[in-house]
Amino acid sequence: MEYRNVLTTCPYCGTGCGLYLQVLDGKVVGTLPVKGHPISEGALCIKGWNAHSFIHHPDRLTSPLIREQGRFREASWDKAYDLIADKFSSLKEEFGPDSLAVLSSAKCTNEENYLLQKFTRAVLGTNNVDHCARL
Amino acid sequence: MMYEPKIVAYACTYCSYPGADLAGTSRIKYSPNVNIIRVLCSGRVSPELILRTFREGADGVLVLGCHFGDCHFINGNHRTAKRIPVLQRVLEFSGIEPERLRLEWVSASEGERFAQIVDEFTETVRELAPMRQVLA
Amino acid sequence: MNRLEALRDLIEEALDEVDGVVGLRSSSGYVAPHLFREREELHQLAVSPKYALPTTLRLIQTAHPEAKLGIVCRGCEERGLIEMAKRNQINLDHIAVIGLACTAEEAEECRCAKPYPSVLVDSHVGERVEPVADKLAEELRQKGVPERLDFWLSQFNKCIKCYGCRNACPQCFCPECTLEEELWVERGRVPPPFPSFHLIRAMHTVGKCVGCRECELSCPAHIPLTTLYTLIRQEVGEMFGYEPGVALEDEPPLVLPMEVES
Repeated sequence: MEYRNVLTTCPYCGTGCGLYLQVLDGKVVGTLPVKGHPISEGALCIKGWNAHSFIHHPDRLTSPLIREQGRFREASWDKAYDLIADKFSSLKEEFGPDSLAVLSSAKCTNEENYLLQKFTRAVLGTNNVDHCARL
Repeated sequence: MMYEPKIVAYACTYCSYPGADLAGTSRIKYSPNVNIIRVLCSGRVSPELILRTFREGADGVLVLGCHFGDCHFINGNHRTAKRIPVLQRVLEFSGIEPERLRLEWVSASEGERFAQIVDEFTETVRELAPMRQVLA
Repeated sequence: MNRLEALRDLIEEALDEVDGVVGLRSSSGYVAPHLFREREELHQLAVSPKYALPTTLRLIQTAHPEAKLGIVCRGCEERGLIEMAKRNQINLDHIAVIGLACTAEEAEECRCAKPYPSVLVDSHVGERVEPVADKLAEELRQKGVPERLDFWLSQFNKCIKCYGCRNACPQCFCPECTLEEELWVERGRVPPPFPSFHLIRAMHTVGKCVGCRECELSCPAHIPLTTLYTLIRQEVGEMFGYEPGVALEDEPPLVLPMEVES
């Protein structure tokens, strides 16, 4: 029987509200606001209150999936990367680098986003990179 | 303030709705501002329902039930008897006139009384501002 | 000896009898509820700021119904526990309650009517202070209906519908919350339309709200929710002679039929 609160930051928007993940017996069961936090001042918005809900969600992807004949099948990371690299290379060859685009996410860290745009610009060779918050 | 107030009356199936019906069959004239909605029991009328009714544009809400001891569901009207006064206080504290909500017991034989209640209530609500002004 | 040290001693003693004590733990500069199981953890014990510890207790007890647990309880938390027990949300049989009295500053901030526990407590820490009246509630009582409307409309227009008030409330446990029903509260509108969201919530706190102020503390818009619920609680007290959080035997008025002389 173990219960503790793990201090973290809300993954959703740029405000960076303090968040406690309530962990009961090894599973995340809820969120609590952080009282006295300089940014969130003990409050959370609706996304913050539900920030834990995707962690143990049954719909969450746990392995790469490759679509074959209209159905998804599980694949290893290596096979998935091989397919991605293959397709990106051949599409870039055939249609040029601007036929590719990359869509990132507000839930990624700044470092991850920097890496992704570097990859898009330097490796893929296109400026078509954007972010889900702009949709 | 002269306007035609919209009144919604929730009348229970076993006492107050037949009472309203009796007013009709006896050809008693009463204020046409009222829309009567039949519910199974006045105890079914929840605060959410009343608040939604106000939200949709009702200027006044009448809740009509059976006299104590007559309720088809034994004590449904007891719940109403407690709930409505509390909701009236909540409305009052939040800035909505509690006179907009009224609870009355009407039996199936009280057609005359039903008409009288509707007329009185319409006049009371007519003195108040239209709900859409309050909620704007 | 200050409150914190006295509390630490009491919890150490309690750990001989119970499997764990729910209290506040300070770590990385912030304080959160925690289940203390070992004496070694107690150096991180904290007493403030307050959280709704009964909610944590309920969470743990639901997962481990047989466990013997302890809880550090302020006045409002004890009232919350009593109301939860009345509604079968918590089983007080195996719970050791360690009372914590609030300081005068804490009572002042919370406008608390009874800033110390006294009903369920097995042991107690801190000096009891005087209750504090809710000045805003008194002011609102003096105002007329249109002025109250102006006040509450200006407050409720700040609401971002975060459901923080409902989430933080120790008494809100309905798996299907009325406030999430599209039939009663229009979807996709922020601020939620007056009077639906807030007055439904106010009606649902009748007979349950103990004035712990967690709703207000977690409101990002600083709406004085507890003041509205306090006014209603005072009215219900007069109308039915019922005060939430005082005695386990008291039955909430709205769910009972009336005694009617036939």
